[in-house]
Amino acid sequence: QNILTVCFSVGYSAVALNHVIDFKEKKQEIIKPVSPSELFPSLPIVQGTSKRIKILTRLTLVVSDPSHCNLLRSTSANIRLYDIIAVFPKTEKLFHIACTTLDVDLVCINVTEKLPFYFRRPPVNMAIDRGIYFELLYTPAIKDSTMRRYTISNAISLMQICKGKNIVISSAAERPLELRGPYDVANLGLLFGLSESEAKAAVSTNCRATMLHGETRKSACGVVYTVKKPRKVEEEETAVPACKKAKTQA
Amino acid sequence: MVRFKNRYVLCEVVSEDPRCRQCIEDRTLGLAVRDAIARVHGDYGLACCSISFTVKYLNAYTGTVLLRCRKDSYRLLCSALPFVRYLESRAQRYPCFLNTLHVGGTIRTCQRFLIQYNRTQLLRLLQNCTNEEERQCIQKSLLSCSLTEEQSQSGDEEEDDGTE
Repeated sequence: QNILTVCFSVGYSAVALNHVIDFKEKKQEIIKPVSPSELFPSLPIVQGTSKRIKILTRLTLVVSDPSHCNLLRSTSANIRLYDIIAVFPKTEKLFHIACTTLDVDLVCINVTEKLPFYFRRPPVNMAIDRGIYFELLYTPAIKDSTMRRYTISNAISLMQICKGKNIVISSAAERPLELRGPYDVANLGLLFGLSESEAKAAVSTNCRATMLHGETRKSACGVVYTVKKPRKVEEEETAVPACKKAKTQA
Repeated sequence: MVRFKNRYVLCEVVSEDPRCRQCIEDRTLGLAVRDAIARVHGDYGLACCSISFTVKYLNAYTGTVLLRCRKDSYRLLCSALPFVRYLESRAQRYPCFLNTLHVGGTIRTCQRFLIQYNRTQLLRLLQNCTNEEERQCIQKSLLSCSLTEEQSQSGDEEEDDGTE
């Protein structure tokens, strides 16, 4: 709760709380997310505007095996309660699957060790088309020097493939002092190879797009498509009753 | 006109320990920032940024810091500021972090921003304060803060001092 208070005082308007599910253990149940109302009796107001702060819940699946992905297809009720779903692929095949077919909002990119696989252009382009964002963490970079090197090298290799689009920078802060303000995080984006406008977008507009993506994933099941019929048919239809009328009158 | 262009970076020191604010000094802060730049950008970055690097203004009560650097190297400075993790003074380490508020070209623009920012902070404090006296005190200072003509060269205006 401390972390959240610091977040809001620094100027963030929406925060997502993360639960990580790791599949190394035998069986894991997906826990129900903590409801935000338990943390704050009344949500404080964003600095500078008069809106309330949003607290979202987020689930991260650490997948190292294709069978773990079945969990996403299952209709477990608890998954639907999370607003944003992220996947953390450990192998190249899983990265490909996550970008192309899995129903997630974010794909986490590992920053704590050297990537075992190189990014290729086709799955990254497909992910960008589908509206999936790639996520980078910045807290390990602040803590440790070797992590910093891995973070920067992984981030720059990602940038070279995706040209800086669809990036979200987030913190995995466990203590309130590991947090940084939004302006600072955008400046960190400059270190990762983003241009200045892309870095600002990585903190603001891309995150909002991820939230909306999560909402559409939760609610939308199908699309209703209405097509306007061509005018000729309409006139004929209206003409027919007129003739009928004339006949009856006559 | 040929003159050296500077960038002034306005930051706020945020920490959990209330004693940290009292021990903020310009030397300790300058050392901490230089150390962070050296760790992130190496010798080249440190040399570039320290051409005209000083701590121009420091307010120990609110934790506001104004740093100056050259316009060519302000990006190096700004990207290294998130890496400041602690302030060290008198053999004691205080964990903290710097929150960048505003980057401006002159001290006056930073001062204007600071006054607006302090006004919003006072409004926020107003919501949180429970004592009626405190409330009235804050309201009075809110109504009386403004940018006056009597400016010292280091832009030392806080809203407590500013009166019409």
